[in-house]
Amino acid sequence: MTNPYQQQHGSSSFTGSDPGGLPPLNVRRPSYASVVSGSNNNNNPAARAAAARSGAFSHILNPSPDADQQHAHDSSPYPTRYDGMSYTQLGGDDDAAAAGVLNRGGALWPPRPGSSFPYFSRAFDLYMSKDPLLAGDPAAAASSEDVRIPAPIPAPYISATGFLAPSYLRGTSYLQKLEERHHARLLAERDGGLGAGGAGSKAGPPAQSVGGIPSRLASNLPPGASSTHLPAVGTKVSGTAHRGVAYDVVEKTHFAGGSGGHHGIGGGGGGIGGEDEYGDAGAVSPLPSRWNRLDKEAALEVLGDGYEVRHTGRPTGDHEASAVRADHYMAPACGVYYFEVTVLNTRSDRVKTPPIAIGFASKEASISRAPGWEPDSWGYHGDDGNSFASQNVGKPYAEMYGVGDTVGCLVNFRLNHALFTKNGRELSIAFKDIPFKDVKGKLYPIVGLKKKEDHIMANFGQRPFMFDIDGYMKRQTSMIEDEIRAADTTQLVPGLSETEIIQQLVLQFLQHDGYVETARAFAEELHAEKSALRLEGEEPVQGINVRDDEDAHNRQRIRRAVLEGDIDSAMNYTRLHYPTVLKENLQVYFRLRCRKFIEMIRREAELNMLLEERRGAAARKPHQQADDNDEEMLDNGGGGDLDMSMTEDGGNGVAADAAGLSKLSQEALTYGMELRGEFRGDPRRETAKQLDEIFSLIAYPNPLRVKEVAHLLDGSGRVAVAEELNSAILMSLGKSSRAALENVYAQTAVLLEDLRQDGGDGAFVTLDSVVAGIPPSRVG
Amino acid sequence: MSNWSAALELSGLDTDSAFQDTILAQFRESYDRMNSSPSTATPLQHAFEKRAADVKAPKSDINALILDYLTMEGYPKAAAKFCKEANLQPQQPDLSIQTRQDIQHAIHSGNIETAISSLNELDPELLDTDPDLHFSLLRLQLVELIRQCNGGDISPALDFATKKLAPRAATNRDFLNDLEQTMALIIFPHDTLQPELAALLSSDLRRTTATKVNEAVLLRQNRRREAAIRQLVRMRAWAETSARSKKKDLPESIGIGLNEDSMEYGESGHEPMITT
Repeated sequence: MTNPYQQQHGSSSFTGSDPGGLPPLNVRRPSYASVVSGSNNNNNPAARAAAARSGAFSHILNPSPDADQQHAHDSSPYPTRYDGMSYTQLGGDDDAAAAGVLNRGGALWPPRPGSSFPYFSRAFDLYMSKDPLLAGDPAAAASSEDVRIPAPIPAPYISATGFLAPSYLRGTSYLQKLEERHHARLLAERDGGLGAGGAGSKAGPPAQSVGGIPSRLASNLPPGASSTHLPAVGTKVSGTAHRGVAYDVVEKTHFAGGSGGHHGIGGGGGGIGGEDEYGDAGAVSPLPSRWNRLDKEAALEVLGDGYEVRHTGRPTGDHEASAVRADHYMAPACGVYYFEVTVLNTRSDRVKTPPIAIGFASKEASISRAPGWEPDSWGYHGDDGNSFASQNVGKPYAEMYGVGDTVGCLVNFRLNHALFTKNGRELSIAFKDIPFKDVKGKLYPIVGLKKKEDHIMANFGQRPFMFDIDGYMKRQTSMIEDEIRAADTTQLVPGLSETEIIQQLVLQFLQHDGYVETARAFAEELHAEKSALRLEGEEPVQGINVRDDEDAHNRQRIRRAVLEGDIDSAMNYTRLHYPTVLKENLQVYFRLRCRKFIEMIRREAELNMLLEERRGAAARKPHQQADDNDEEMLDNGGGGDLDMSMTEDGGNGVAADAAGLSKLSQEALTYGMELRGEFRGDPRRETAKQLDEIFSLIAYPNPLRVKEVAHLLDGSGRVAVAEELNSAILMSLGKSSRAALENVYAQTAVLLEDLRQDGGDGAFVTLDSVVAGIPPSRVG
Repeated sequence: MSNWSAALELSGLDTDSAFQDTILAQFRESYDRMNSSPSTATPLQHAFEKRAADVKAPKSDINALILDYLTMEGYPKAAAKFCKEANLQPQQPDLSIQTRQDIQHAIHSGNIETAISSLNELDPELLDTDPDLHFSLLRLQLVELIRQCNGGDISPALDFATKKLAPRAATNRDFLNDLEQTMALIIFPHDTLQPELAALLSSDLRRTTATKVNEAVLLRQNRRREAAIRQLVRMRAWAETSARSKKKDLPESIGIGLNEDSMEYGESGHEPMITT
């Protein structure tokens, strides 16, 4: 099989810029989006100024890594306005963020009669309507002459805080982990807001977050990127307003100074060296989210948000093609990875199927060769429909593709194969038995272009795909679910059927955790069931002996006290029945003491709320009450002292309660001092941290109303403390701290984790999905 | 466990109580090693055990699994008590759980007629829309009739088969096979049956039929067939098999620690576990 690229090489027009070659779409397409977007605030000078400032600042702060690229660009026929924005001068992901800013502010593009538009705005046009792409459509061009405001590329699957969640990966453990990390980072940044924010505002261009652009990059930082922002817990006393400010500042920090170490130019975000192939176990690599400006052949240009790539026509010497990889690798733990590439308009010669290659490759594969030709590189070529598996001899695979077509690349790590889709239609398997294990390094989405003006746009899951990948994923998952449904459970406990194992698991859990009454009721019902099943002539069923031991009762009483918030009683019972437990489990003791403080604050806060309500009621009521005062008095008899006090002067009862409240506060404060004194010498970080955290509650007039701290008062905290205490008691009795059912749960979690490592079956199922199937409780 | 008793027999020793205690202690030790109880020194803990010990099984999840099980499989009293003791909201009204339990109980006890009429009361369309389920119930009823006539007058069973089952079996190959197999019970004496025929007379058929009925009712009520804990247990079994076939590094056996409490029974004067 001959190589189409090589054949065309001689005749290709690698002749630098082509002044006459302004793509017709530049004039025509942006208008489509602008029609859709309907916005026309292009006269907003502030926004324009902000944009200009942004560009200027970033230029200074982030010296361009590919200045040569910039020159090439200068000589291009594209509007100078674009260069003024200079977003290509930003490094790595950062410039995508800047571009995001520019894109979102549709206002940034001033009207320039007769001039063309920033070409990256074409992208969304395609998304809105694919037709105009297909060669020149003069009607479309004419109709849009006057409307010029580009809308942002819609990315509905990127959250407001910048988290990319492709539809088909939702519910997978991989995405859950990414999301947890994302949220942890947001929280850490919020906590550390003051310090980091201060630095950021000095270093960062303020305009970068014009319009409150969310930190899109957050999800793409490598693990530990924010580890330098250590939470400054002490500053928490400030109100919410302050918090909001801090938050904004941190986001700026992200774009500018804060993340520089990792994603600035120096750090080489997704750099060629493969810095994001972190080897540390447990780390989850972010999903590919955009093309990597630092990992492309020089003739290519990554545009806008980083989804589009265009061939500049810059001479490439002997290079056969120009490729670009995505910023992150496809993690096998996804199970299945999928992305789509749409071929946008191309050269003026209107070749319908230009030499474009889509696939995946390791960092080892040269970006000067077409995807598929190199070792550890696989690709599907549009100009001949061939597939190339790590060699420059292709195999006939499927039809050709070209301008206007959307081609998807699907890698199935579980089945070790890859296939492509065309315009939403699944093509056959292109590569079987891919030796994933032998690949050096990780595999990245890759695309290769060859001719000037060739232009593609990728969907890394930021918006819906053309192909029904969700359905594909569901089929994969249900295959595994079928396997699970058919699993043989009799090996778990030899001699017991599945039903018997489950009955025993439940019964043992109930006894273990001290649910005495439930255990007894369940045992009775099981006995009745077994007796009913007994056939004539069979031995009578033996009763299940639910131990009626003192321990279970004691533990139950202690648990109940904690659950009711009566920490003193719980501690007294514990000291009485298990004298060593609190002495030997200082952590549990500490948690109980802290919880007592929380309960005090909680009581105070609740009383406070009640008072506020009464005050409110007192303020509202007098008029109405004055009228039917007599009637009320009669109705209430002697018992309505609340109403009576309010009708009298609207304040007596409140005052009395307020006195009680201040006594409560006093007690809480005294107790708090005591608590701090007792644990002052504790060397553990968590102790100090938790103390700081709960003492911050004092700072709020009513912590129940403050979203940031209200969770500390939540009743679920009682459950956690109760369980910890129960475990400690069980261990002091020499019993396992966990019931068998909990072992089953934990073992399954670890086994699934193992099965997930290389994209195996475990990637498609989670423990959460089991629990998620349980409908929420409702009142009967 | 049977290994231990085999060892005892081989050694030809009297299983006097002192010796039994020794064995029991040894057994306990090996058991502890297997189950990685944090309270015991476990010098040879496998990495897997350590990782599992570090996994937190959220109490809220476990409680939800328990309540779901008690609700779905029809243990109304236990479900109500558990809601009270664990401070949870019921998943379904008591009455609904009770009704399903009553139907299951009727099937377990062999009162199929009662079960069918309760079922029709609860959901008049269920049996009409599920001929498979209906046939299973009628066939169980036939088995119960045959069981009752045990060697005596077989005319009630024959009559029932002709009137109720034969018309349905005529339309469906599987039904016909099942009917033929069941009718064989009339001809052969029950104490010398082939295993597959004998199985029809065991209580397993009652249990599986009751489960089928319960699942069908649940499916129509909630779009869920079975309790989530079943999925969990199967997932655990599947994951181990799967991980072993992939040659993951696992301990030789992974105990779930279910017998721990039985061990305690042994201590408190019940029969020790080491009996065949």
